[in-house]
Amino acid sequence: MRLGSLENLRSQLVEVTLALVVGFVGGALALTAFGYNALENIQVMISYGFRDLGYLLLKSAPIVLTALAFLVPLKAGLFNIGGEGQLYAGAITALFLSKIGFYLAIPAGALAGLLVGVAIGLLRVVRGVNEVVSSIMFNWTLYYLSMFAIQRYLLDPVYTHQSIRVDRVLSLPEVVTIMLLSPLVVYLLLYNTELGYRIRVAGSSSRVARYAGVNLNIVTIQSMAIGGFLAGLGGAIQVYGVTTVVDTTLSSLYGLGFLGIGVALIARGNPLAVIPAAVLVSGLLIGSHWMELRGRVAPELADVVIGVIILALSAPYAYRVLASRMGWGVGGG
Amino acid sequence: MDSYDILLYLAFASITYMTPVLLASLGEIIAERSGVVNIGVEGILLASAFTATLVAIVTGNPLLGFASGALVGLLAGLIHGVLAVYLRADQIIAGLAFNMIAYGLTVMGLVSIWKHHGASPRIGVSLEEIDVAGYHVNPVSLASIALAILAWYTLTKTRVGLALRACGEDPRAAEAMGVDVNRYRVAATSIGGLLAGIGGAFLALEVVGQFTRGISAGRGFIALANVAFSGWNPLLAVPGAYIFGFLEALSVYLQQWALGYEYIARTLPYIGTLLVVTVFAWKAIAPRSLAKPYVKE
Repeated sequence: MRLGSLENLRSQLVEVTLALVVGFVGGALALTAFGYNALENIQVMISYGFRDLGYLLLKSAPIVLTALAFLVPLKAGLFNIGGEGQLYAGAITALFLSKIGFYLAIPAGALAGLLVGVAIGLLRVVRGVNEVVSSIMFNWTLYYLSMFAIQRYLLDPVYTHQSIRVDRVLSLPEVVTIMLLSPLVVYLLLYNTELGYRIRVAGSSSRVARYAGVNLNIVTIQSMAIGGFLAGLGGAIQVYGVTTVVDTTLSSLYGLGFLGIGVALIARGNPLAVIPAAVLVSGLLIGSHWMELRGRVAPELADVVIGVIILALSAPYAYRVLASRMGWGVGGG
Repeated sequence: MDSYDILLYLAFASITYMTPVLLASLGEIIAERSGVVNIGVEGILLASAFTATLVAIVTGNPLLGFASGALVGLLAGLIHGVLAVYLRADQIIAGLAFNMIAYGLTVMGLVSIWKHHGASPRIGVSLEEIDVAGYHVNPVSLASIALAILAWYTLTKTRVGLALRACGEDPRAAEAMGVDVNRYRVAATSIGGLLAGIGGAFLALEVVGQFTRGISAGRGFIALANVAFSGWNPLLAVPGAYIFGFLEALSVYLQQWALGYEYIARTLPYIGTLLVVTVFAWKAIAPRSLAKPYVKE
């Protein structure tokens, strides 16, 4: 560990805790504004969200992967907000190959995500297309293509509101293993390999990268490929480990990519911190569905809370000003 | 209808479909020219479409709907401007967060007010359309084209425009010219939000006729694509938005005829936008200080 990193960790923990408080205050305000009992509903959300540990971990796994899918390109200075579409590509590809076999379907899903990531990277490198814009265009295109694929090729003959069911599924320990190992692998990749070094140098500044002899174009494509691979894997895991079917409106996939972005930001870009951050976010997600059952509140309250948390975290400078005014003495430029 | 009639129909329908994207693009060009990028336009479209729907249904007056949408956009732009300028927030991340919040709030609103997860009731009122050569054109669509000319003139031919562009290119030099960079940036981002807010109101009142969950459907990002396509030039944003409007009109038209392939038809605006920005990537140069907070020394 580098010198001062412990101090750094402490100030980040305080920062995230403050942001969580702000997030829940934001959620409470939204509830009050729409005429709900804020305290009661948030209490349900929190107390029910974290009850079933197995379910909590299961739901966290795909979000861990989409968070890493955002995080790796972010280290290279790229905003991969295409995790959503890459996840669809992974899920649907894996579903298509369910008859061929489980061991092929999951890597194929990851590969499909990788291809989408590479496409976004190539468009940026070759044609200068901003990755944020192309990511969103891919997300929507893949959203409709996935619905088309389910409707036309993968529909269950009996339950026509969903796809066929996959035969073999991942067990809970298998899913949890993937969930715990992926951040570790990404951590080692970023901090202990030549590729990871080049990704981080590319993200620091383009001038530094040029001095260090790092080819930004290649790193762009490599980091987007890794990001796409992880999100695609997340989609395959969602199908084979969590839901086993995909409904025709894609509601079992929708939003997982965007939640990953939130998780990566709450984790402050640290691959290992993605695990607790994902557990937190999926707890809120599960809790919000309980809240809907109990209080008829839209579960999208979770989006509001997570959005406000991210908004609060987007301005570390504001926090530093606050800290110095209050005399907390947490350092940093 | 023969193919000529269909084309003419699409050509006019495109003017309606282009309008929310054009308004959002113009707003974003103004904000980005001052040095602030706001990818929260997607969320502004959602929030203003929701508010405009609610106000128009309650009051029965579409103009009040537009006014409320504009107000919500202005407030959202102001918040983003303050966050970006004075609190030096990461502008992309703040925008992403705002989009999430707007999505969550509008769905909560749908459920709370109309007890429905997908859509509001029909609004039932809209603006009177103008007759142009036998085709109906919305007055706001015409106004938004006039606005593009006005924005171009203001940005390139006036002192205020020069000062605003200086903030986005070289804030230090702007400060030396006696320009209050931070105030200009907040004002530009607020105006940008206001225009996107009118776009959102238009989307609900004049295009869809009701509020639906996620009604913006990527139009905010299509506007961002259009900003780059236009090379940050309001005049070129008009043909850019028109291309998108045409793609959407075509998509809606095809959805009625391509039975079984509706979902494929729906991908058209997104694939088309991607193709346009890929083919016309003429390396237009973004404002040099875009998304960089200005720190006085």
